[in-house]
Formats: sequence, C-alpha cells, structure tokens
Amino acid sequence: MTELDFSKKVADRYLKREVLGEGTYGVVFKAIDTKTGQTVAIKKIRLGKQKEGVNFTALREIKLLKELKDPNIIELIDAFPHKGNLHLVFEFMETDLEAVIRDRNIFLSPADIKSYLQMTLKGLAICHKKWVLHRDMKPNNLLIGSNGQLKLADFGLARIFGSPDRKFTHQVFARWYRAPELLFGTKQYGSGVDVWAAACIFAELLLRRPFLQGSSDIDQLGKIFAAFGTPTPSQWPDMVYLPDYVEYQYVPSPTLRSLFPMASDDALDLLSKMFTYDPKSRISVQQALEHRYFSSAPPPTNPDKLPRPAPKRESRASDSHDGPTVLSPPRKSRRVMPERDGFEGAYQVDKVGDHVGEMRQAAGENTSRNEPVPMSIDFSIFGAKPPNRPTINSADRTHLKRKLDLEFQHPE
Amino acid sequence: MAANFWTSSHYKQLLDQEEVDVVHPLDKEKGITLEDFKHIKMHMANYIWKLAQHVKVRQRVVATAVTYMRRVYTRKSMTEYDPRLVAPTCLYLASKAEESTVQARLLVFYLKKLYTDEKYRYDRYEIKDILEMEMKILEALNYYLVVFHPYRALSQLLQDANLNDISMTQLTWGLLNDTYKMDLILVHAPHLIALACIYIASVLREKDTTAWFEELRVDMNVVKNISMEILDFYENHRMITDDRIIAAFSKLNLKP
Repeated sequence: MTELDFSKKVADRYLKREVLGEGTYGVVFKAIDTKTGQTVAIKKIRLGKQKEGVNFTALREIKLLKELKDPNIIELIDAFPHKGNLHLVFEFMETDLEAVIRDRNIFLSPADIKSYLQMTLKGLAICHKKWVLHRDMKPNNLLIGSNGQLKLADFGLARIFGSPDRKFTHQVFARWYRAPELLFGTKQYGSGVDVWAAACIFAELLLRRPFLQGSSDIDQLGKIFAAFGTPTPSQWPDMVYLPDYVEYQYVPSPTLRSLFPMASDDALDLLSKMFTYDPKSRISVQQALEHRYFSSAPPPTNPDKLPRPAPKRESRASDSHDGPTVLSPPRKSRRVMPERDGFEGAYQVDKVGDHVGEMRQAAGENTSRNEPVPMSIDFSIFGAKPPNRPTINSADRTHLKRKLDLEFQHPE
Repeated sequence: MAANFWTSSHYKQLLDQEEVDVVHPLDKEKGITLEDFKHIKMHMANYIWKLAQHVKVRQRVVATAVTYMRRVYTRKSMTEYDPRLVAPTCLYLASKAEESTVQARLLVFYLKKLYTDEKYRYDRYEIKDILEMEMKILEALNYYLVVFHPYRALSQLLQDANLNDISMTQLTWGLLNDTYKMDLILVHAPHLIALACIYIASVLREKDTTAWFEELRVDMNVVKNISMEILDFYENHRMITDDRIIAAFSKLNLKP
C-alpha cells in the first residue's frame, strides 16, 4: 500500500491555517502538510452529539473519492481521526468555476470555454465509467487548482467557496441545474441528469450567468420549456408517465441560435444534444467528449493559460491604485447602465456606486465572503431581480436577458 | 461491472493467502493458532449474518460487513480489536456504505437480545462503543469501503451457461454465502469465486459444463483451486464445534 503509516498521522502533521468556510457537516480550513510542503484543505467532520457516528454524506464522499482518482476529480489525500472528529484532507484548490463565471474582469474566449467544459466532462466521464452519478453538478462544485486544472468536487468541500447564505444558494442552484425528468419526479434516473447539469454549466459559461433560473420547481420547468419549447410526446415518449407529470401549455421553442447568438455552430449542436429532453436519447458524456466541438478550431486552451480570478492579495493591492472602477468593470457600467437607465432610472446607478465601496472591502477577504456581493451587484445591474423578487414579468426578463447576452459576448 | 473491478480499490487490495493467514503477534502471544484465528473469524461471520437477519438488511450488506471484518484482521489484532465489537460495528458501517442504514440504537438492541452464551457474551457494548469502533475500523480499512461481491457475476454466469434453473441457482447461491466463512473474498476476484461455486455445483448435479468452462478465458487451475478450498472447508467444518470456538475465545482472554 502506498499510503503512509497511520500511526504517524497526528494532527500536528498539518499546520493549521485560516478557516476557509463551513460546509454542511463541518468546518474547512487551509493547512500545510509538513511532510510534503503541500497546501491542503482539511474538512473536519463534526461527530459530536450525533448518535449516528460518521456522517452518512461524508462517508459516501469518502467511499467514492477513494475509488475515483483522476486529474479532473478532487483528490482525497488523507483521512484521520483527531479528538473524536474525522478529518478529510483534500488537495487545496484556489477557486471554483462559479467565481470565474462571475468575475466580470475575466473574458472567456471560445477556447477557454471549450477547455473548462472539456475538463468538466472528463471528470464526469470517469464518474460515469465507475457508475457514480455526481448528482450535484454546478459551477461552485467545480474547483480550479493553481495550475488551472478543473476538478469535480462532491457536495461539501465545494461549499467552502460558496456564499454564506447556504440554504438559499444550495436550493436554488440545485434547481437551476436539475434535469426535466427530475423535476417531473422520476425515481429512476441515470447519468443523463449529470449531462443536463453539465449542459446548464456550458450555457452558463457562454452567457456568464445561470441559464435557467427557475424560482420554484414548476417555474424551473417553465423556464426550460420557454427555452426549448414544450416537449411533445414524440420527442419524449416516457414523459407522460412520470410521477409528477403535469401538462404545460404549449410554448414553441425559440431557436437555440437566438439564445446563444455568439456560440459556434459546433457549440450549439453539442449544447442541443446535451439539452435533449428524453434522457434515453440525450448524449452521453463520452459521446459529448467525442463531439466535433472538441476537435474543431479553436483547440481548447491549455489549463495553465486559462483566465482565473486574480489572487486575493494582488487584487487588494490593485484596489488602492485603480479606485472604485476596478471591481465594477468599466465595460460593464458603460454598456449595461444605459439599459438600466431606460429601465428604472438613475436610482440604481447610485446604488451600484454604493456597492463598489462594499466590494472593495470584500475583495480582501476570502472567496466565500466576497462572492455573494458580486452576485447581488449582478442582479441589480441586469435588472433581472433575484428570482424571489419578481418585479418584472418573465417575458420582459427573457427579452432583456437575450439582449444582454448579445452584449456579453463582445470583449472590449 | 467486471470491467470496473479491475480498476477498483478492491482489486488493488487483493492479498495472497499467506498474507491473510497471519496471526497478529499480540494474539500469538496469547496462544492463538492459525486454526483458532480462522474459527473466530468464521464464528464472527456467522454472527454478523444472524444479527443482520434481525435488523433486516440485504445480503449485500452482510457480505460487505464480513469483508470489512476480515480485512480488519489482516491488519489488527483481536486483542486490541475485540471481535464482539468489531463484528456489529462492521455491520453498522457496511449498512451505511451500502446505503441501507441501520440505526446504531437498533443494532445495540439486538446485540443485547441475541447473546446466548455467557462464554463469549456480546451484550456489554453500547452505542458509544460502536461509534468509537466505527472510526477505528474506518482507519483500519484505510477508508476503502467499496467491495465487489460475486453475487452479480454468479447470476450472469449461470444465465450464460444456461444453468439458471431454480435448483442450480439455489445451490450456487448457498455455496457462495458459505464462501464468506472463509477468506476467499480477500484473495480472489469475485467472478472466480462465482465460477468455483458453479464448478462445484455442476459436478454435484452432474451437469456437463466442460465445454462452457473451456470457452471462458479464465485460468481453470485457479477456479479448481478455489473449488478445492471450498470443499476442504466443508470437510473441516464438521470439526468446528462450539466448544472449540469457546476455547479459542477464552485464549483471547477478553474483558467480560
């Protein structure tokens, strides 16, 4: 066995650093492995008063990660009990895909998007090959290491980079990536659910915002149907037999091109195959990786050349030089604000101005803290309110979003 | 499934028989022989089986629990890891790992209800002991929890050999259950164990499977060796009396 002798493993092998965040079943902190000099993330699993021993979710994660060793899957380096708590040692990951997507300073070229999607699908392919369904694919569960490698992480660790309002983000995010068969209450589902979620992530990389932001399960289906048209029985014969199936009013589908005006034909073709309604005819991850999108130009960007959010220390330093405009990207305020002006008047402009100061403060803190701030800024700028405050009716919102999509594809 | 086995941690952890048949120095000091060691493990496997029937879990959970228990004792002594606690804890852990959780409370309830023999009573352990041992077992298992069992391979192979009638299915299934009284699962790939069970059953029922076996790309010597081991076990099994198990247990001199 290649693993080190457990008897020598005491917590003081690891030099404890700052707390990175709090997951559902414990605190995650940064640490240095004194044996290897490697920076690691240690997840402490609370056992304490529970009468059921090692947390079931944690156990599932241990079980699966011990079997899944792959460059595109987070590595569980070590596990050890200390003071009655189980500690899981993971490789330390700098950031996650959600932070990349949300960072308006980052421009993602078609080659960058291809690279991120390819790594996502490669990690997923390994899971599916080993019969593991990820079941919780979303951008903040896709962690990015210092060499730009993207790795699938299970629920839990990914949350260290998540927003503090866990319940909200968890529920909403999960829903936004949920396949239609799940929303119709299917009990038997397969790898297709992960493919659908990966398609949502693909779309999010193209649009730079979550693609299908439903505010309830019913609304989620509405959003899906608004994007792809209400499925017909010929498209998806099993649909009517699903437990929670309800008939939706027929909506014709807009062309995919109109939703993703800047995507290449190959990208759209792959996207449409991943967003296929019938899970039986939805493309598999392996087939998706063999799709011509990945072999046609441009080739995917080398991971270490991918744009990533600036390291925190640097961003703090640059703040003092560049002033407020840095964190509210100039191109965005220029481009989007006129839209907003026409929409709700000058009030919002002031509001955004206020937020800039907040964001500068937040930039110095860890990702989990500053992340929700750009999110709230994003919403106010888009005019698309967070889903729980639907002041604009959905037709307007879609219209507006499409307009904005157009603009986001242009670098300046 | 078979394709995944070769990339699994289970495959990488397969041991040689000589590595499995090592009595831990601490147990050796107490006079535990290899025979005693095997008998206690067999007894504990039976005990896990009995306990499982009360808490109602699938066969798969039992098989995984027994495998955990056997893996633990390739690394740890019975002196330090009391079999009477390790066995129920393995069942508890396996039930979680196989996604059909049994409450620790329920397990302890049956633990207390089930004990019959004062000589190796099981009822002194409480929930907290099981939870404590759970962590130690996880560590002893090196956190590897996925186990591949021969059951799936068995039904597929029976079907392929056109032997999937009730009588053959029942016989092979029973043989397979009995293999968990031995350490075979630690040494051989699951499909080879399944083949050995089919081999024995077809000889017993006088079915001609030679042609079928020849077509399979497996080393028949290995299958025959496993079959011989199983037959040896049945032969020796008659000799393993309760008294011998009690005697082995008393050597361990565990706290009452």
